[in-house]
Amino acid sequence: MLGPYLRQRREALKAKDKCYSLRQVAKRVGIEPAYLSKIERGEMAPPSEVTLKKLAIELSLDADVILAMAGKVSKDLQEIICDRPELFAELLRHMKDLPDHAVLRVVREVTDGDW
Amino acid sequence: MIELKNDRLVFNFPEVHPTATADISFQRTLRIPDDGNTYPLPAGLGEFPLSHIEDHAAKVPADMLKRGGVLMPMYQSEALWLNFSDDGYPMAIKVAAGKINAVTGKPWSDALAEQPQDYVVLPEQLWLDGYNVGEDLIRQFVAMPLGEGYTAEEQITGEAEFGGLQLIVYPMKAEVYYKLFETRSVIDDDMEFLDIPAFLRRPSETCESMGLAAGGLMRQEIYEDEYGMDVWDTESASRCFIHLCNSVDYAAITGRKPPHAPYTSKDYAQNGIPWFDYYGGEAKPLPGSAILGGLKSLAQIAKDKGEVIWGNETTNVGKVKVIKGEKTNSVSEGPF
Repeated sequence: MLGPYLRQRREALKAKDKCYSLRQVAKRVGIEPAYLSKIERGEMAPPSEVTLKKLAIELSLDADVILAMAGKVSKDLQEIICDRPELFAELLRHMKDLPDHAVLRVVREVTDGDW
Repeated sequence: MIELKNDRLVFNFPEVHPTATADISFQRTLRIPDDGNTYPLPAGLGEFPLSHIEDHAAKVPADMLKRGGVLMPMYQSEALWLNFSDDGYPMAIKVAAGKINAVTGKPWSDALAEQPQDYVVLPEQLWLDGYNVGEDLIRQFVAMPLGEGYTAEEQITGEAEFGGLQLIVYPMKAEVYYKLFETRSVIDDDMEFLDIPAFLRRPSETCESMGLAAGGLMRQEIYEDEYGMDVWDTESASRCFIHLCNSVDYAAITGRKPPHAPYTSKDYAQNGIPWFDYYGGEAKPLPGSAILGGLKSLAQIAKDKGEVIWGNETTNVGKVKVIKGEKTNSVSEGPF
């Protein structure tokens, strides 16, 4: 559940730093505290991608994970897939049951050269 | 293996342990004045963009391609700090600029050294802002063009060959981890775009290599390795070369808009951005490097050359937020 997950994370941060109060986090993200409260309690549908990404940054969470928990795929990933739909559809279906370590093998690595 | 994810270098060692991961990002920040005063830690003002060097193969020099790694734009005289985060899995990280070790001032080697310790340890070390010039004291990393004599590399080796930043990361050995175990705020980058002053507009034909000079003095501790050399898995290291590219050239090379111009002390004060002091609890700080302590600072070299460093006026430090360190990954072991 996205809401409780966000709340748990914010509360954990708040225990160390009071600037993670509901009111202050909402202010920094640019939404009303009441709206954030409802999101955290699961009483509202997940907010927009932009807001979710701001929340992810604010709470030091992975934006892709947050978006997935909200049932969304980030716009940049959508563009990547839409750019080459057949290729990526086939690739994703092919990889869907692979274990994580096998998926990591096809992730693009940062190269190390001669220095 | 190293992934590039959301402008962060993610060092994964799945062959060692599923949580053996370290994220390293490069934070834009205020360049503190190089005026002889010692300043607290400035905030992070957003991450520098990173891209695979091979994505720009047609427009970067062959030397850069040969070294692999990533490309990062910086403005001349812009400062940065390295932000480390992890999942609690201890890592040893060597950091160099122009292949000069930022902790010891010695030339680059892949291997870890113990006397003097030439690496930082995660999770104890949260960030690194500059060269280790004294106990609890660093000189801020500040980007300057290679070849003008400002960088630590040029001062120590007499050559302007490498520039950039270099990293190598070693995870803790899995068997040691199993035996022992099972943030500085980042300010939202929402300030208005600041126009690039004319003196920063120095486009060149290709990618102007940059290195890191030693800027103003800042209070920061670099911590001693409490685990000892034997715990690091020397078979599983990953290393990366971060090429620094003049921000104006970056647009021509990548076709992307470079980050907005660096913040000035005035912007920083006007936006009420806090400063930070960090106390690492029981962690013991390393002594400073005599080699790095002997470096001429950015302002000293500029004065010798009759040049002016913009925005180097002494600034009043406003609100300082104190952050106290604590151990987050210690798990006590009892009889079982």
